[in-house]
Amino acid sequence: MLETNLDSVAQQSAFRHINTGTKLILALGSLILCLISPSPVVPLISGIILSLVLIIPARTSPRLYGELLLGPAIFTIMSIVILLFILGGGDVIWRFNPVPWIDLSITTGAVKESILVLCRVFGCSVSLFFIALTTPLTDLFNGMKRIGIPIELIDLMMIIYRYIFIVIAQTVEIWHAQVMRLGYSRPMESIRSFSMLCGMLFISSWIAGEDLIHAMDSRCYDGIIPSLDQAEPVQIPSLILVMLYLSGLSGILLGMSTGVVALS
Amino acid sequence: MNVILEARDIRYRYPGNPEAIKGISFHMRQGEKIALVGPNGAGKSTLLQMFNGMIRPDSGLMLFDKEPIRYDTRSLRQLRKRIGYVLQNPDRQIIAPTVYQDVAFGPANLRFDEQAIRNAVTLALRHVGLEGFERRPPHQLSGGEKKRVAIAGVLAMDPDVLVFDEPTSGLDPSGSEDIMELLDELNHEGKTIIISTHDVELAYPWADRAILLLDGRILQEDVPDVAFGNPDHVRMAHLSLPLLLELYIEMQKRGFSLPDKKPHTVLDMMHIIETLFQKTCCHARPGTITVCNVDLDNEESFLEGVSNRTGVSVGAMGTRAKQRAENSHIRLDFTYGVIDKCILRALLGEDSLILTTGSMVERVHKRVDDYGKESGIHITVTPSQPGKVKTTPESWERI
Repeated sequence: MLETNLDSVAQQSAFRHINTGTKLILALGSLILCLISPSPVVPLISGIILSLVLIIPARTSPRLYGELLLGPAIFTIMSIVILLFILGGGDVIWRFNPVPWIDLSITTGAVKESILVLCRVFGCSVSLFFIALTTPLTDLFNGMKRIGIPIELIDLMMIIYRYIFIVIAQTVEIWHAQVMRLGYSRPMESIRSFSMLCGMLFISSWIAGEDLIHAMDSRCYDGIIPSLDQAEPVQIPSLILVMLYLSGLSGILLGMSTGVVALS
Repeated sequence: MNVILEARDIRYRYPGNPEAIKGISFHMRQGEKIALVGPNGAGKSTLLQMFNGMIRPDSGLMLFDKEPIRYDTRSLRQLRKRIGYVLQNPDRQIIAPTVYQDVAFGPANLRFDEQAIRNAVTLALRHVGLEGFERRPPHQLSGGEKKRVAIAGVLAMDPDVLVFDEPTSGLDPSGSEDIMELLDELNHEGKTIIISTHDVELAYPWADRAILLLDGRILQEDVPDVAFGNPDHVRMAHLSLPLLLELYIEMQKRGFSLPDKKPHTVLDMMHIIETLFQKTCCHARPGTITVCNVDLDNEESFLEGVSNRTGVSVGAMGTRAKQRAENSHIRLDFTYGVIDKCILRALLGEDSLILTTGSMVERVHKRVDDYGKESGIHITVTPSQPGKVKTTPESWERI
């Protein structure tokens, strides 16, 4: 399962032991810079550099990383094909006019905008993957607590996180049991099997919920779900590197913006 | 020994169902190991859940430490701190997203301070051999490891009584043996333990007392020899006779004159057979058993001590000793019933080495001495001395 996979990749990442705050600054910083950049250069540079960082020092499997990028890539390419025809501005570089009432054209402005969208999606996706592939959720919970997100919300998230994997495992088990008995062989059969799967999951989740209360009560639950006590300390060299990187990116962004303004 | 837990004619019915517990009375003494054995639906889990107040009997009385159990929140918290309950399915018991958080759950809710929580977690994880697992999420652990996390979560609250619902279900044979050994270790440290199980082979040599449960009633309650020794009762409880006991009964039926003490282990059985046929092992001198306390030895002398004994069988007793052996890549020949297996080797004239921890060293001496008194065979137990190649076995005699 992808969910299990992503979390275990983050657990095994070489960047696991870098302070969560430092990683968040890097990822969110690049994300914001990619979003506000008026030119495709900044998101492109950010995306390429962070990808290289993920593959080389963080030792993420290039194959898995490629597979992950494929998701947003397919979605973006499909959107861009539409954008190319919808957006306008500049000179027409290609026109398709088979019948008088259909006029499809691609302009230089649309190409520019589409490239910007493509690069932004690439830069932003990579920034988010950087967090997903280097920081397990368990570390993020600690960070959330520190920045003052209500504890009730975090406790709930922790319990949901814990049980997601159990529900997934159970879904797979039931699904296998159904497939083995040809539960999805015909369309009507599939609908019936799927509804049975949902029903079974609901019942087992209900029972699991009751057991959870028992388990918590047996251990004297009094409103506390403890947090992980081992937060990684802030390492100055990595923080300086992140700051240098973000400053560099901001510098390029400023340079590009003034360039764009001067040109206009 | 003091009675720590007592049930007096308790009855319970799940809403809309026939009575699940139909008048059960029994008691548990401090430091005892009790196995609750019976078929599915006999009421084992229901009974176990009454021990820590999860289920309140409809009638009858549950007493803990000679006081009737009270069911107000405050009293239940006190009770649950002293009676730890480990559920059958560890996935249902592990609540938190990491091992550390889960083990810290009990101590944190008991309002321990931060340092005390950390100490309790470290100690509990060390106990179950999961040091270094603190940041791991439970879904990445194996079945046996999850079970250990669940046990550590309860141990961190330092209860006096440990209640286990099917502790070995879903585990492979070696994992089951490891858990039973851990239970032995905990009992040796003074914890009272009660387990429910179907596995008679594991319960028979392990328990001090066995309770056969059938259809909400106690069918028989006695030492395992007697409790499992009645084939009719065993059949009624949908169980099977432990293999050693079956062999003993079959030999008895064939007119062999056997000692009254029934065999619990292969060692006991071997002793019976040897006495019966008046034939001893062909070796003139028994081998020695060397005991290595892994807590005392430093890494270098430990490894040297083990590597000097090539060809010698090595067994590890206790979670910490096993972990140390695993870390040092030592191949273990025995991990369960280690002392008996080493005595068996010694009787064949072979030397063996037991890796163990502080409190268990004494147990090795005691077991070997007891065997010596019973059989008249003197086996030498020596502490490990780094660098020394082999200890010379002392002469032995058969009385």
